Amino acid sequence: MKILIADDELVSLRMLERTLERDGYEVVAVEDGRTAAERLCDPHGPRLALLDWMMPQLDGPAVCRAVRRKRSQRHVYVVLLTSKSSKEDIVEGLESGADDYLIKPFDPGELKARLRTGLRILELEDHLLEAREDMRYKATHDSLTSLLNRGTILELLSGEMNRIHRRKSPIAIVLGDIDHFKLVNDTHGHVAGDEVLRETGRRLLASVRSYDFIGRYGGEEFLAVLTNCGMDAAMKRAEDIRKAIGGSPFLTSQNPVSVTMSLGVFAGDTADYRSLEEILCEVDSALYAAKSAGRNCCRLAVPSNPR
Amino acid sequence: MEPEHATLEQYVDMPELLARVCEDRELLMELLQLFQESFPRLRDALQLAAESGDANQIEKAAHALKGMFAGLSMKQASQLAAQVELAARADDLPQVHETMAKLIREEAGLLVAVESFVAGSMT
Repeated sequence: MKILIADDELVSLRMLERTLERDGYEVVAVEDGRTAAERLCDPHGPRLALLDWMMPQLDGPAVCRAVRRKRSQRHVYVVLLTSKSSKEDIVEGLESGADDYLIKPFDPGELKARLRTGLRILELEDHLLEAREDMRYKATHDSLTSLLNRGTILELLSGEMNRIHRRKSPIAIVLGDIDHFKLVNDTHGHVAGDEVLRETGRRLLASVRSYDFIGRYGGEEFLAVLTNCGMDAAMKRAEDIRKAIGGSPFLTSQNPVSVTMSLGVFAGDTADYRSLEEILCEVDSALYAAKSAGRNCCRLAVPSNPR
Repeated sequence: MEPEHATLEQYVDMPELLARVCEDRELLMELLQLFQESFPRLRDALQLAAESGDANQIEKAAHALKGMFAGLSMKQASQLAAQVELAARADDLPQVHETMAKLIREEAGLLVAVESFVAGSMT
């Protein structure tokens, strides 16, 4: 663990440095408050700090305030280590944002124990942030395919529509449905069916640009949002997707399974449309047209109710 | 005791200091040498502040000296520096000068003791 120590008094600084190195810390030693604040405000800087109170340029409490103001992403655990020992000093130090307060000269055992407390708190924060990130991922992604889930892809689509409405740039929406998917489940079993869905997700992602969005729209339906993409490019992209799905069998744990996909494509300026629902209705009709045309093909949406 | 006969144990609580450096005698020597290098600057800063009569500067300089003395378990010197700091905070300049005279005597013996200890350890 990296720890920053700040003290302009070199005997104290060296003693602290050696004590902490002996305990396995990676020590960053600085001799003034401004440098300490800069290092601690760096998002990649140390998250554990021992600060003297009286230092050139910025004193310990001012460093605490600067850190609390500027670095909010991850907590920096700050201990003030000072020979200022009155109750008023302790209150002022803690009020400035310090997490703990130690009186000089330090006792090595107490110092270690206090720092371990800091480490426990930082570890707890890490666990909480990981859990939050995990929950956020689960709330926004489909658990089977790891693609964006329906709610998230629609939210992104809505945001993109607002954005391109301002910029007057084209957008394309592709709705794809695996043909006869029920037959895959009935013939090869649900395990193979799930594998087909996962592989479909992988092939879809491989068929679009890194800044396009792909989500699982329903059971075997997938929605792609292609930003800044005109009609010709959208139809070509949809055709690429169709070929990527149908081009080679899916190797499941049961048998190779041949799969095809029908796709409906909306491409154009969303300013012509009243709502997201209307556009989704258009692209759904195009998908239906592709199904009616014999499946394994792409059809472009025909605006039915333009403004 | 004349300063030239001073031993480090008279000025430093050695058991406490050794515990603080975890019995690391190499570190102890390094710290005492750092003390020899840093002390004159801090002492001069206090002297200059006292001569100027600037209580705020006296308080800061005495605080810095107090911290260094305390870190090295130089108990008497640390207490005297603390008294100078408190007197300066109270803007009591006569008390500052009176305590500084004691501190200067303590420092003289302390310096000799440190020099003697460091020299003895090197031979």
